[in-house]
This record gives sequence, C-alpha cells and structure tokens, in this order.
Amino acid sequence: MASLFNILSIGASSAAAQRSASSTASHNLGNANTPGYARQRTSLEAALPALSAGRMLLGQGARAANTTQVRNRFLEAQSAATLSAQARSGAQADALESLSALDPSAPGSPGTALGAFFSSLRGLAQRASDPGYRQSAVASAQDLAASFNRTAASIESARGGLDANLAGRALEANDLSANVARLNMEIRTARANGSEPNDLMDARTVARDALAALTGAQPVPDGAGNISMVLPGGAALVTGDRSARLDTLPDPLNRGHTIVRLDGTAGSPPVALAAAQLGGSMRGDLDARDGALKTALDQVDQLAFDLGNALNAVHRSGVGADGSTGSDLFTIAATAAGAASTIQVSAAVAANPQSLAASTVAAGLPGGGDNAQRLIDVESASLSNGRNASATLGALVSGYGSETRSARATSDADTLLAQNVQSLREAASGVSIDDELIDLTRSQRAYEAALKVITTADEMMDSLLRLRG
Amino acid sequence: MRVTDQMIFERAATSAGSARARAQKASQEVSSGMRVQHPWDAPAAAGQLVRSQLNQARMTTIASTASQAMDELDAADTALDGVQNAVIRARELAMQLASGTYNAQDRANAAQEVDGLFKQSVALLNSDVGGRFIFGGRADGAPPFDPVGAYSGDSGIRQVETAPGVTTQASVQADVAVKGVGGGVDVLQTLASLRTALQVNDVPGIQASLTGLSTGVTQLSTARTQAGNGSSLLQLASNVARIAVLQEQTQASHLGDADILDATSRLAMAQRVLEATLTASATTFKGTLLDHLR
Repeated sequence: MASLFNILSIGASSAAAQRSASSTASHNLGNANTPGYARQRTSLEAALPALSAGRMLLGQGARAANTTQVRNRFLEAQSAATLSAQARSGAQADALESLSALDPSAPGSPGTALGAFFSSLRGLAQRASDPGYRQSAVASAQDLAASFNRTAASIESARGGLDANLAGRALEANDLSANVARLNMEIRTARANGSEPNDLMDARTVARDALAALTGAQPVPDGAGNISMVLPGGAALVTGDRSARLDTLPDPLNRGHTIVRLDGTAGSPPVALAAAQLGGSMRGDLDARDGALKTALDQVDQLAFDLGNALNAVHRSGVGADGSTGSDLFTIAATAAGAASTIQVSAAVAANPQSLAASTVAAGLPGGGDNAQRLIDVESASLSNGRNASATLGALVSGYGSETRSARATSDADTLLAQNVQSLREAASGVSIDDELIDLTRSQRAYEAALKVITTADEMMDSLLRLRG
Repeated sequence: MRVTDQMIFERAATSAGSARARAQKASQEVSSGMRVQHPWDAPAAAGQLVRSQLNQARMTTIASTASQAMDELDAADTALDGVQNAVIRARELAMQLASGTYNAQDRANAAQEVDGLFKQSVALLNSDVGGRFIFGGRADGAPPFDPVGAYSGDSGIRQVETAPGVTTQASVQADVAVKGVGGGVDVLQTLASLRTALQVNDVPGIQASLTGLSTGVTQLSTARTQAGNGSSLLQLASNVARIAVLQEQTQASHLGDADILDATSRLAMAQRVLEATLTASATTFKGTLLDHLR
C-alpha cells in the first residue's frame, strides 16, 4: 500500500523531471541564435520500478530519462560537403571579380594604349620630320609599355593577395583542426563518464563545418565517437585527438607564389599539397590564382612579348632621324614569362626620339615615314597565336570574363544548394521560440501540478496527524 | 516544414540582400549608362568592345591622316596651278616677244616680268602645310627650291593609309612635275632660260623656249590631275573611315551601353521587390507566440 510519504516522493521526483524539461527548453531558448546549435529534448518516462501494493502495482511518478539532440544525420553529412563547395566557388568568383585591369573601358588599359600607340605611329608616318610627332610616338610607346606593366602588376597583385589569403586561411585551419581534435578527446571523455556531451558536439560541428569550408576536409566518423577530417586528396587533417598543420611557403616554380604544405599527424616530413588535394576557400583561392588569373597574365605576357618583338624586328630594319639603325624600339625579356611586367621603351629611343626609326633608308631622311608605316602594319599582323593584337586582346578579355562569369554562376548554384541544406538542417535542428515557449509552459504546468501533489499529500498527512492528536 | 526563428531572419536577410543587389546593379547601369562595365557582365560583348575601341581609334586616325594628306594635296594643286599660270603667262610673253615687232627694251621689260614669274613659281613650290614642305619629297623639313631653282628635295613618294593595310600615293613628285626627271622639262630652268633670252634680246633663244614652256604646261597639268585624283581618293577614304568610326561607335553602343528604359524599369521593379520583402519580413517577425504570452 502506498504511503503518504510515497506520494510526497512521487511529487518531488515529478517536479524534478519537469524542472529538467524546463531547463532544457530554457537552454534551447538561450541558444536560439547560437550558430551550429542543435535543439535538445529531455525525454520523460515513468519512474521504475512500480511499487507493489498487494496485487496492484502503483506508479512512482515521472523522471527525466535523458537529454538528446535533434539531428538529421543525412543533412549533417551533406552540410560539410555543400559548405566546402560553396566556399570554394565563392572564393574563386570573389577573387576573379576583384580585378578591374581588364575592364573594357578602364582608363589606361592595354586596349586604349594600343590604339593610341598605333594612332601616333600613323601621325608619325605622315610627319616623320616633325619632332613633335616623333616625341608623341615615343610617349605613346612608353604609355603602351606602362599599360602592359600596370596590367601585369594588377594581375600579379591580385595573385599576391590570394597568397596572403592562403596564409591566413592556413593559420585559421590549424586552429580549427586543433579544436576538432581537442573536442574529439573531450567528447570521448564525457561519454566514458556516461554523459551525452551535446554542447561539445555542437561546438565540434561548428568547427568541423568551418574547417570544411576552409579546406574542403570532410568528416569521417569512427566507432569511438571521433570524427577525422580528411582532405579531398586523402590526407588527414584530424585523426582522433591529433591534428596536422598547414603552412605556406614561396614556390620558386610559380613566380614565388605560395604553395600549401601539410605537416602530417604521423610525424612524417611536410608534403606539398596540389590544388586538387584541397577544397573549400583555399582551393577557390588556388583555382583563381593559378587558373584564370594566371592564364590572363600569361596571355598579357605573350601579347607583350609577341608585339614587342614584332615591332622590334621592323624597327631594327629602319633608320632613325639621327641616322641610327639596327636598334630595338622596346626592351623585352628573353622569354614570354614576365614580358608584360618588364617591357619598356628602349633607353636609346626614350632618351633620343630622333632614333625612332621611321624611315627604311637613310636617303629617306628626315621625312621618310615608310618604316613607321611598316610598324603600323604590325597592328594587323598575326602573332604567335594566329591572331592579331586586337583580336588577341579581345579574346583575352572575353576569356577572362567567361571564366569569371562561370565561377560566379557556379558560386550562385553552390550557395543555393548550401542554403537549402542549411535550411533543412535548421528546420530539423534549429530552435523555434514558439516550440520552446510551448514546452516551457507545458513543463511549468506539470511542475505546478507536481507541487500540488506535494501540497495535497502534505494536507492529507496533516489531517492524519490531527486525528491522532 | 518546421520553421524556426533563425530561418525567418535568415530568409529575410537573404531576400533583402538579393533585392538590394538587383537594385544596386540596375542603379549602376542607369547612373553610368553602361551595361558592360566588367568582362564578366557580358564576356563576348566585352571582347568585341575592346576590338571595337581599337578599330575606332584606327579608323579615326586613318580619317584624320587622309584628311590631312588631302589638304596637302589640295595645297600642292593650288601651288601647281599658280606655277602653271606663270608658265602659261611666260609662254604668252615668249610667243609675243619672239616677234620682230618688239625691241630690246620691250624684251628687257618682259624679262623683268618673267623674273617675277620665276620667283613667284619658286615661292609657290616652297609652299608648306604646317611646316611640312609639300614638294620636298622625304626631304620635307626645308624649302626644296633655292632662289635659282635648284632642287634639294628627293624622289620620295608619300604613302598614306586609306584603309587598314592599304596605302595610296599622296604627294606630288616635284622632281618629275617640275624638274622633268624621267623625260620631261625642267620648268624653272625653262623660265630662267626665257628670262635670260629676254634680257639679252636673244630672239632665237626666246623661240627655243616655247617648246619647253608648252611641255612644262602639260607636265604641270598632268601633275595637277594626279594631285586632284589623289585628293579625291583621300576624300573618299576619309569619308569611308568616318562612316566606319560611326558604325563602330554604334556597334560599341549596342554592345556596351545600357538600355536606360529597361534599366530604369528594372530599378523600379527591384525597389518594389525590396520594399515588399522588407514589409513581408517585418510582418513575419511579429507573428510569434512571444507577443501573445506577454
């Protein structure tokens, strides 16, 4: 037979269970805006064992069984992959859109300078004996060289900015890797102590997603409760409670741009990672730096190299107003690599515009402009790629535009996909203030009821004591 | 689908951001008047714009240089016309004074007139346009004829680009037209001979100059015809180049300029969408249990 004390005990345990449920709802409300937080639920169950009263079994009230997170494992698995893809294409598109040197209407662009240079040569061809036209032609040649220098410098500056990005991201990734490894250990420890470390798992999910977005590393759970973070190339950034480190150093084979290295978890020497072995925003940076930006730079270099050499060949065969011959118009690198950044009007022509070879023969001085006309013909001549300078420049601008547009389209699609997955994940695991207020109210009512049980039992006991008295 | 508060705020931020981005893009188009500001706005059009700008620069310069060359040929034609008139007048005087009805004084007076014609011709043949001596060939930096009619120019022929890669002759070869290189007569020398013959009352000499003067008139006439033809050709080339510039400008405008009506309409639409998004978001924010439990 149930004693009054038993009823008091039922009231007390039920009130405690409802307090736990209230506490969980409050915790959820408190974390309604916490990134990566998954709402928690406290499960209540009838307290066992039931009390035997003769042939009856009387219940013992309620108790809080456990507090678990509400997570959709499928969406959790999708999240890291979609965040990585979004970060990669977003970083690439942002980097490519940061370059304005190839804008069709940019002042001082190679297109504008090229047009002005050949225009000044046309003037010179008609007025070769006029020092003003000669000076103007040399000045426009200097503008053309400066335009190539500026364009190459702008592209290289954008690539250099991505190097700085990579270095910063590598440091950030190292912190996150160490964080995931530490949380792996803390989660294992908590579980060994019999508790469910929900908030630690949330923190690890946040670190995991951020690491995936930075490096493309994907989580691989093991049976012990750890997650390993594995890069697209198969190298592990995190294994259990050990984390590897990423660092960057200049690559002499790529104009000194940084290369990413992995200092592994197994004590092996650092290994260089190719772009394909990375993902996330680091891969996006590398894709932009060594993809469209490098292609554009190579094409600008090749154009400067081809054009400069073609003009030099004609210039060498002409005669300057001062009688000089066999001299170059431009000083150019020996190979196309770096030609745009170093091309200059030759020192002799820059110092003395009279040495600009506008005539084909000495007898044609001073008014002969036939060699200037031959220099003009270079404008329409095919360069090493089979196109003339104008078409080459147009193709360069179009090609860069297409790459950038494609990267942005991919980024938009990846962003939509990631937002969709995050939205579904939020729908499953996110905190709804309405839901939590209802739960809180429900727990509050049940708690009040449990207290009423205690009050009632107390009154019953009081009545009983008064009978005896 | 379960909707959390964070989803509502996220959606509001995303929708408002996207509406703002569209409004910003349309606003930029309206304010700049340009549809293609970056290569990625329209990659193919951006490449064509670069080529079109280069073509515009090329055709503008071709039009300008052809026009300048035409001015010089016109100036040469005017000068040759003056020289031709001088030679015709000299021939009239020669024909007149070759007759026995005139005495030595008459011929001495005529010699003075021929001397004036000679000097006038030399001055005309030393014409310059913008400092360029148009009868000097490539030696165009100094007057090509000295006071006695000696020629210091050369046989260089000036070529002017009339279309990309196409050139045409745009100068008068004074050595041929005036000095008679290649089978003609030296016009100035013929005038000088007449002057001398008149001064010394040399009637046979005066008669002998008549053939040379007639040949000179024909020679100058031929040169003027060539100059006229060249001028017409350059006029045509200049006009064609200017039309090409206009066509390039039109094409560039089609490629790169914003359709202001369309952009304004898109701007208005984007602003309307933004207002609707903000209103919808504000309404959604209010509908929570929290408001009713207070």
